[in-house]
Amino acid sequence: MNAPDRFELFVLGEGQKKLTITPDTKLPNAATFTIQKEDHTVGNMLRMQLLKNKKVLFAGYKVPHPLEHCIILKIQTTPDTTPEAMLMEAFDELIKEFSTIRNKFEVIFFFFFFFFFFFFSINIFFFYIFNLE
Amino acid sequence: MNDISLSAITGFDSGPTVQLKELESDHIKFSLSNVDLSVANGIRRAMIADVPTMAIDLVEIETNTTVLTDEFIAHRLGLIPLTSTDVDKNFAYTRECNCTDYCNLCSVELNLNVKCTEDRTMEVTSRELISQNDNIVPVTIDDQDPGILIAKMRKGQELKLKCIAKKGTGKEHAKWSPVCGVGFDYDPYNKLRHTTYWIEDDEKTEWPLSENAKEEQPPIEGEPFDYNAVPNKFYYKFETTGSMEAKDVVLSSLNILQAKFDELRNELKREQNMNQYN
Repeated sequence: MNAPDRFELFVLGEGQKKLTITPDTKLPNAATFTIQKEDHTVGNMLRMQLLKNKKVLFAGYKVPHPLEHCIILKIQTTPDTTPEAMLMEAFDELIKEFSTIRNKFEVIFFFFFFFFFFFFSINIFFFYIFNLE
Repeated sequence: MNDISLSAITGFDSGPTVQLKELESDHIKFSLSNVDLSVANGIRRAMIADVPTMAIDLVEIETNTTVLTDEFIAHRLGLIPLTSTDVDKNFAYTRECNCTDYCNLCSVELNLNVKCTEDRTMEVTSRELISQNDNIVPVTIDDQDPGILIAKMRKGQELKLKCIAKKGTGKEHAKWSPVCGVGFDYDPYNKLRHTTYWIEDDEKTEWPLSENAKEEQPPIEGEPFDYNAVPNKFYYKFETTGSMEAKDVVLSSLNILQAKFDELRNELKREQNMNQYN
């Protein structure tokens, strides 16, 4: 009866912000990002992408509670940059990565049918020759 | 013969690489290399939970004199896969649609009206569901396919109902998932020791190698453990429910992930601009 709606898992609530930045009060070049309605799919990818960057000193994420549909991402960077800039770089890298993967899939799906047709026609050709003999 | 990779065609190898091993309309097998584990797993998760399809969501039962209860039948109807090619473009989510309840832009009506008049057991299948939209119909393999069993009736029993199919994702309910689970495998020899096998006596006999093992170098006896090693090649294999083409599921999941990061990127940009003016 008081069950929360299923779509609360992925639909942004009234007046809810997708992304909020909270600068760390104690550490320089550190911030906490709260991303609403996202889960481990995005969280883990962001964390791993951030950790690849030499300027990122710390990157970690958590899903605070199974009923809270958000991820909390903490980033600390070297003094010559900001966590926001590093997160932006991670987004750019991931967007680029997915577009290359998609392009490769598109090409390969195209070629797959081509190759299939190619081998199929060769088989028919040999079958034909074989039968002639 | 059918195992082709893009690097073999283009002659260079950099960045993510895809090797396609099997492809049929409802089944695919491929491997993805030079990506991070998190990205590979993200694709798997997106294919299961984020690719939208159509599924029956509302059922209005007019007559049900079968032995099965209304909710039982409603649940069975929900799990019937409907052909959902291009649902992404052609339909809106009901909650985002302008209509008050549901309309043709966000839903499809399917009707079922059967009565058993013969003196034998009659099977009501998904073939008896009449869709108002020719593009959204219950999945059948061919003309011989008897369809999915909904209920069995004896003489005099009747089932009459109206279904509303809506667009949704596997995140909300598994009935909207376009895939029957995704086989995901990496490091078949367990060189990275990401897993610990539970064994009785001998690991080798109790845990046979997966078919993907033939694509990787077997470990050398007495080789020291490489603690810096990371997984590099990921093997996927899955079947769809029939609602979408296997290749479309893959492409759609990649588009969705890209769109997700695009949205977050714009959101971050806006947030940064706001902070500048404050």
